[in-house]
Amino acid sequence: MTDAETKKALETEESQEILPLIIEILPGHAAEGLIDVYEPGSYEGRTLRKLCERTLGKKKWSIEEQLIIEDITRQLQGGKLLCKGEEIEGIASGYAVTEQTEAGEKYLYVPVRAIKPQEGGIWQ
Amino acid sequence: MLQLLESDLELVVKSGFLYLPLLYDPAIAREIQYGPTPDGSAEHSIEVAGKHFIKSVSIQSILTGMEGIDADYYGQVERECLRKFPVSSTLEGISPDSKLMTLLLKVMPYFIRKNKGFTRKRLHDEEFLDFLGDRIDIPQSFREQADRYLDSGPLLQRLNDLEKLEQKVEPLHDGPISVEVLGRWLHEALEMQIVDQEIARLKKRLRDRERLTEAQRNHFCTLMYIAEKGALEIDGFGLYRIGSGDDYLVYKRTGEYILKDYYARSYLFPDCRVAVLTMRPFGPMVLEPYKHPFLRDHTAKQEICMKGFKSPDELTADNIIRLLEGGINALLYGYDARRRNGYHSLDPTLHYVKTIEFEDYLINNDEPHAVRKKDWDEI
Repeated sequence: MTDAETKKALETEESQEILPLIIEILPGHAAEGLIDVYEPGSYEGRTLRKLCERTLGKKKWSIEEQLIIEDITRQLQGGKLLCKGEEIEGIASGYAVTEQTEAGEKYLYVPVRAIKPQEGGIWQ
Repeated sequence: MLQLLESDLELVVKSGFLYLPLLYDPAIAREIQYGPTPDGSAEHSIEVAGKHFIKSVSIQSILTGMEGIDADYYGQVERECLRKFPVSSTLEGISPDSKLMTLLLKVMPYFIRKNKGFTRKRLHDEEFLDFLGDRIDIPQSFREQADRYLDSGPLLQRLNDLEKLEQKVEPLHDGPISVEVLGRWLHEALEMQIVDQEIARLKKRLRDRERLTEAQRNHFCTLMYIAEKGALEIDGFGLYRIGSGDDYLVYKRTGEYILKDYYARSYLFPDCRVAVLTMRPFGPMVLEPYKHPFLRDHTAKQEICMKGFKSPDELTADNIIRLLEGGINALLYGYDARRRNGYHSLDPTLHYVKTIEFEDYLINNDEPHAVRKKDWDEI
């Protein structure tokens, strides 16, 4: 592990305990998706898949958010959730990067894409 | 209808209706003499110079419904007619039903981040135009040019040109008429109808323009700048005009990505633009010279080979989004290292035809950007 990676890992480890985790599930290649916030204590040790399922299973969404969920659901028919090009079976915080708001508040952010795969090619 | 106009039938016009020759035999003669008329009028058939004719359609209804009766013919007459009064291509480009507006207001918002922080508000068209205006540096000279457009000058000029036509088509006189004369009359009457509709549309647009607020003027300026420039790219989503009309290549950048071969070696593919043309046939392609297992050669504007792909029938915002996403998904996630699907295999095989090679994309799996990606069928 390089020095920079070690530093980042330590930072992430440190911040996991106190920072909220924000998951954004994006339909396809959309730029904006469904945002859900997990407060410290509610996400530790859970897989990203579990958290995404929990987010998508929630009912109290605005009309705009429901439209995004419809789009995500459509992509997931035959598709799957991916983060950084991988399936999301690992611990959620392992995928997170530390970011901060304009006001300087830090948080962990994980973007997840709902991708409907398009198989290519003419040969089997 | 066109079949009728291409025939050599003898026709009769009476009271705005077209009468067609009636095959005359004793049974029909009795029907004419005693049978009730469908609409209660006495004249559902007439006799001219010893020949019988039966009432068919209203000539006005042919004119009014021509767009539905024969869309191709109507479109042809419309194009020919309005070509005499050219409109600025910029103004065409920003009319609400133009392809540019569909791309800007219905497709682009999907692919670019509009909100700050974690707000995920769906922007109305006006709000999105404000957003676009903030992201584009519009020169002051162009703002002045937009103001000149907004003084309604070009529209007024076009309106005046159309109103100068003033010629009216005389109604058809009652009596026999040849198919040729009827066809000519219908063509002229259709042209006049199209001109009248265009005049009404321009007058409405002028009224709308007079009511423009300062914000709307800014939106117009933004749209006009994009239409005039014919190209735009924001956050990896872009478009550029093809030719001088209202057709565009709309694209989304993939960014760099990694594919694995049969031996789990990583290949780093460079960024490319997956694009869709707003003209048939609608299908995703890669704009730049590019190589990939799903592209036949290593040239520009190659169609992406996608399994089970069916080109959509019509151009809608949803279809464009689906096509772009389909193309990107195929490039990024569609290659199966085990089956080596595609025109080419990442790793040379026994049956490998040496045309396209990917050795130069090979990277060390330990490199920082070699993010591990599982194959689809591993799950």
